[in-house]
Amino acid sequence: MMFRNVAIIGCGQTKHSSKRRDVSLPEMIEEAAWRAMEDAQVTPEEIDAIVVGNMQGFGGVAQPDQWIGDWIGAPGKPVMRIATGGTTGGSVGQGAIYAVASGMYDKVLAVAWEKHSDSKEPGATTGLLHVALANFFHAFNYGMNLKSLVATTVVGAAAGVAVYQAMFYMHRSGCRIEHFDMVAAKSRRNAAKNKYAHLQWPGCTPEDIAKTEMVAYPFRFGHICPASDGASAIVVAAEDIAKKKEDKAWVKGLASYSDEENQLMSESYGGVGILDASEQMGCRVSAMKAYRMAGITDPKREIDVAEIYQPFPSQELIFAERLGLFDEGKAWVALEEGEMEIDGRMPTDPSGGVLATNAIGSSALQRILEAALQVMGKAEEHQVPKEVRNAVAHGWGGVTNYTTVTVLGDSPR
Amino acid sequence: MPYLKEERPETLGVEGEWNIGAYTWKANRLLEEFVEGLKQRKLVGSLCFGCGKVIVPPRNLCGRCHRKMEGRVVVSDVGTVTCFIISPPIKRGKIKVLGMDPVEQGLIQEDEVIIPVFVKFDGADSNLGTLLIGADPKEVHIGMRVRAVWAKETRGELSDLEGVEPLR
Repeated sequence: MMFRNVAIIGCGQTKHSSKRRDVSLPEMIEEAAWRAMEDAQVTPEEIDAIVVGNMQGFGGVAQPDQWIGDWIGAPGKPVMRIATGGTTGGSVGQGAIYAVASGMYDKVLAVAWEKHSDSKEPGATTGLLHVALANFFHAFNYGMNLKSLVATTVVGAAAGVAVYQAMFYMHRSGCRIEHFDMVAAKSRRNAAKNKYAHLQWPGCTPEDIAKTEMVAYPFRFGHICPASDGASAIVVAAEDIAKKKEDKAWVKGLASYSDEENQLMSESYGGVGILDASEQMGCRVSAMKAYRMAGITDPKREIDVAEIYQPFPSQELIFAERLGLFDEGKAWVALEEGEMEIDGRMPTDPSGGVLATNAIGSSALQRILEAALQVMGKAEEHQVPKEVRNAVAHGWGGVTNYTTVTVLGDSPR
Repeated sequence: MPYLKEERPETLGVEGEWNIGAYTWKANRLLEEFVEGLKQRKLVGSLCFGCGKVIVPPRNLCGRCHRKMEGRVVVSDVGTVTCFIISPPIKRGKIKVLGMDPVEQGLIQEDEVIIPVFVKFDGADSNLGTLLIGADPKEVHIGMRVRAVWAKETRGELSDLEGVEPLR
């Protein structure tokens, strides 16, 4: 194909917590950007272009790009902001990769973040409300009663479409709520080994998670991701530059997919033609395309570790199957057999994943970053104890309709 | 190069608050057709002449074919539960929706258990989100057959469809 080889040569992220009140928004973003540039051993002057992004409308500042330029070395350079909801970080990372692969730029910095704690609204979800309200006000005009709205939001607000998705998956795969407890406990334990992660719980057991309050069946409080403050950044470089660096993760394949909204409503309260919310064909198609580009024919054998976008434990199982890492409806069986553990056959989210750390705009870039660390062997305490030749990173979101899949490896395409 | 942050170790919190604002956005008129159907206790959907899918409530474009959904059909008011959620008993002071406590407002009774369901009405290729009424949470299951519950007097509005109840 007519594009250049690209590698990730630097990774930087901040410590994540529910309130980073020690830093302002630009300071927090700078922390990640500078760490990435330090890791890549490049100066801001050497960066050709910058791709930035966070979830639109979150964190109380609608256009943070107006503030952050000076702090990340942007003056005089092209800056592109990308916002694709929960997928933002994945799109930001892929945007930087496109920019280098096209031959347009040689070194591009990708930065993504979220600072939830700046908003007093729970979850800082003003952006989401705008989407929903446009339809709800429309429905009010046609006599929707307040109870129906409240009833669906009361139950849905906690975990929205993910609750329905989990129910669909349980029904068709035979997976049980105990398996969600296992995934959540694994995430907390893995996060305890990741010094940047938010919800860390060394030695957490499924029984610990099972003791937490039921929020909306089948989700318990312990199954739900936090709202984190934090940022992540990567430096992407062209082949000739990357070859001179000691640490790099080659981009072997990438793909993205959008679909009709995989939730209940389309424009103006119309219906949606997707019957099974856990179907997630976007992830399947993206994975097939990305693997083909990477020359991977048997992901079960050739992928060594996966970083999956999983704000809820059911999603780690659903997407692991859609990424072709396990047979259809069988991820929970592999989980029972310990295959998804950090030292298992197919470790998933050794960093703890989104379930442990969710600075939304940053979350999908973090998957790419964590996959790169695994390939470079630099994940420190949460490095998987086996040779990593190929790693896959996944992003999911939008109004649940965007997917990104990025395959990284230890050698160029 | 040092972090600039180190030169400025303290930040301060600046309090701010504003009304998010008012908007006038354009929407389509398809719900008019839908509520007109509800008035006659009928569920109206749009039919895609490209793939034959029927979507309830009607929508403008077919999500996969990108064709205008020009057909209209009435689907059955009997259907199948494809998915459900069971809420814990709702308590006063526990939840806020749009800034209000639904229990305090009398919209939900104290300790009420709510069962939102997805229903695929016979003849439709989409789920409709609604409430399951008059069912024991223990009997709810995917594949459960249900029938629409209509308001005593239908007035051509969305609340004419109160929910669904088990088909016995």
